[in-house]
Amino acid sequence: MGGFIARRLLQGLLLLVLVATVVFVLGRLTGNPVDLMLPEDATAADRARLIEALGLDGSLLTQYRAFIGSALKGDLGTSLRMRQPAVDVFLSRLPNTLALIPWALLLAMLVGIPLGVVAALNRGRFLDRAAGTIAVIGIATPSFWLGIVLIFVFSVELGWLPSGRMGGPEHYVLPVITLGTFLTAGFMRLTRSSMLDVLESEYVKLARIKGLSESVVIWKHCLRNALIPVLTLWGVFVGNLITGAIVTETVFAWPGVGRLTYEAVIYRDFPLLQAVIILKAVLILAINLVVDILYAYVDPRIRLT
Amino acid sequence: MKVFRHPGVPAFAALLALSLSPPSAAQEPKGTLIFAVESLAAQTLDPILETRPGNAVYQAPMYDSLVGFDLDKGGLGPGVAERWVMSEDGLTWTFHLRPGQTFHNGDPLTASDVKFSLERQMSPKSLAAAAGSMRRSIKSIDVVDDLTVRVNTNEPQLGLPAALSRAVAPEGAIMPKKYLETVGEEEFRKKPVGSGPWRFVRSVPGDRIEFEAVGQAHWRGRPHFKYLHILQVPEESTRVAMVRTGEAAIASISPETVFGAGRGGIEVMTVPGTMQAVFQFYGTWRPAHANDPIAKPRVRQALSLAIDRQQIIEHVMAGKAGVPRPFATFAFTESLSVERWKSWSEAAYRYDPALAKKILAEEGYANGFELKFANVALPGTQFMISIGTAIADMWTKIGVKVSIKHYEWGAFPPMQMGDQPNLTGWASMFRTAGRPDAPWRYNTAFAPDSTERMLGDKDNCPETCKKFVDLYKAVINERDPAKRTALNDAMVELIAEQWIAVPIIEGMGYYAINSKKVGEFSAIPGRHELGDVFERIPHHDQKPWKK
Repeated sequence: MGGFIARRLLQGLLLLVLVATVVFVLGRLTGNPVDLMLPEDATAADRARLIEALGLDGSLLTQYRAFIGSALKGDLGTSLRMRQPAVDVFLSRLPNTLALIPWALLLAMLVGIPLGVVAALNRGRFLDRAAGTIAVIGIATPSFWLGIVLIFVFSVELGWLPSGRMGGPEHYVLPVITLGTFLTAGFMRLTRSSMLDVLESEYVKLARIKGLSESVVIWKHCLRNALIPVLTLWGVFVGNLITGAIVTETVFAWPGVGRLTYEAVIYRDFPLLQAVIILKAVLILAINLVVDILYAYVDPRIRLT
Repeated sequence: MKVFRHPGVPAFAALLALSLSPPSAAQEPKGTLIFAVESLAAQTLDPILETRPGNAVYQAPMYDSLVGFDLDKGGLGPGVAERWVMSEDGLTWTFHLRPGQTFHNGDPLTASDVKFSLERQMSPKSLAAAAGSMRRSIKSIDVVDDLTVRVNTNEPQLGLPAALSRAVAPEGAIMPKKYLETVGEEEFRKKPVGSGPWRFVRSVPGDRIEFEAVGQAHWRGRPHFKYLHILQVPEESTRVAMVRTGEAAIASISPETVFGAGRGGIEVMTVPGTMQAVFQFYGTWRPAHANDPIAKPRVRQALSLAIDRQQIIEHVMAGKAGVPRPFATFAFTESLSVERWKSWSEAAYRYDPALAKKILAEEGYANGFELKFANVALPGTQFMISIGTAIADMWTKIGVKVSIKHYEWGAFPPMQMGDQPNLTGWASMFRTAGRPDAPWRYNTAFAPDSTERMLGDKDNCPETCKKFVDLYKAVINERDPAKRTALNDAMVELIAEQWIAVPIIEGMGYYAINSKKVGEFSAIPGRHELGDVFERIPHHDQKPWKK
């Protein structure tokens, strides 16, 4: 097991270096932050002075060396715009995103899994097609559109819920629905296909022959086994939520890491962008490592692959 | 000695006297004014860490500026300094501070704070946009007494007061020397102290900044609201929804949203003269491009005549824009014959496609010509893309074969560097902000050592370029107001007749307002941001909006 974890950690480290390099290069291909920080009528001298003040006057290679050198010491740089350590800025926003994610996951599981079960039990019939339609709509609906429609209906027209921003429990409802809709569809589709596999298995037939009630067969024997692949993908979903909350957080003015990523891109805040992407990659790698370890623990054959 | 005393000072003094009278219970600030804005940018309350003047929206409530505004007309007016005087040799500006000003911690605001603040803005650690130019122009700063500060410049700087007014730039913000030196920079950034009508309460990163009205009267006016919350809400639809639901009283919007906001029962307030959308030409003076159609001023004039500005105003800008004056000039431009230029513009910027075609034919382009056009929107003015697309279509109608390329703003400034190969020979969109100091903007666009260099560069400065250099020097060195106005007019005329940077529309600032949350108020002309307006915004029952 130790060798397996070490191998995964090494792979993760190499991936992080690759991610850092790609983000470093891509970010700089899109322009210079100084052009966005200065007024359009700033003089060349003003521009040169700010470039120097921000430490952007070296060659790309020099900047890259300095970046990697600092990163190896755990310093991912200082936000050009906020003049604060980029890691601190990320960590100050992370709790806001993490406050949304469990609720979105819970919503997705509470709605998606039962829908998947119902669809599997009614394969080819109306309820299956209806659940399938819901899943397709859920996957196909852009979150920015859904968010705005929800705001229009529930905030502006009905006046039931606030339009956005962090606050009390009522502030969570619309962002959680927006964030959770895509996941709900994903859980539903996965549960349905997994349930269909399980329903055909020998042990389910045996349970029925033994005379167990249909509800016990389905909810205890079938669903518990069908959820194994669903739960292993749970880690991937969490990763998707951390990285994919950009639109939801922007629409609902939610000050999380998704919106921070958006701002870092818009303002060409290179150190912040690098830090955000690298730290998100670390989170996703950590989640996947935990999933891999659990998998290896459950199925010893995996350690050999 | 020449004394620059703003005409608004006596009236302002009367207002000040009124505002200093003891407030009655009915005048006590109450409630919370909530303002939603697209971005809080760096969200720092340390004035030396914010670069763009437009970001002063969230710093202006708590910091006063050395030079302030003419609240009615726009442009310069009294601020922390009630008047300013230039020495005979033009090398010294003396600022006379209004007495009795204090910071939020109770420390008096004196000339030492002014000297400290300007020197801090000029320091190497400052990210302020004008830090470099301040260092180049300011030689030293002397404290004469508590209420008098003298700024010595390396050469005459007639534009210095404008540069220290928030009407132009945020570098005139006054910070508390004693407090900052006592607590240090880090602590100051956490608990900033200013002298404005609002004191800092807290800043929630990426979300909001909260202020509280100061207890005593303030020369900018005593706030009607007890608290001011500035929220960052990046999505415009959400901002408008928040105004409709009353979660915010005021939100910044774009012209694209004006129609929808009006239909939703929201008041829409406009701020006149905040910008000009411009089309302009780089490098037409380069020998390699001497035979380009756009190297000829008459062809460029024909392109202007082909533009139906009224259509753009009605259909792109929702009727909330105006016919512009010449490049970078507005109703509040200092030292300019503004009425003369208003009349000139109405005639010169007319829509006359027949004349445009005739001019093209006379210049040898009866069948039109091919024109590359770089379309770009500057931050906060996304509607420029629509304007650019519209004028490209209008040029097509007079026979010009336009190939349009859209650029994201971040990709555009690098193209202005070096020999500008990707812009030379092209027409391109640009913007100029609503500022009262025309010569400064002209210098950044037309001087041979400027970024844009639209008339020539240091190695090749043709006749018009030389004329501009001479006129610009004369303008900035002329201290007689009448002569300066005449020179400014001549400089504007030189550029206007070149048709090298041609205004398309004069844009406005747009705000959606919930009339049940706030009463009627007006913004400062030319000043898009409301940072210096919040204290004058009444409750809805104090001054209901006219239906």
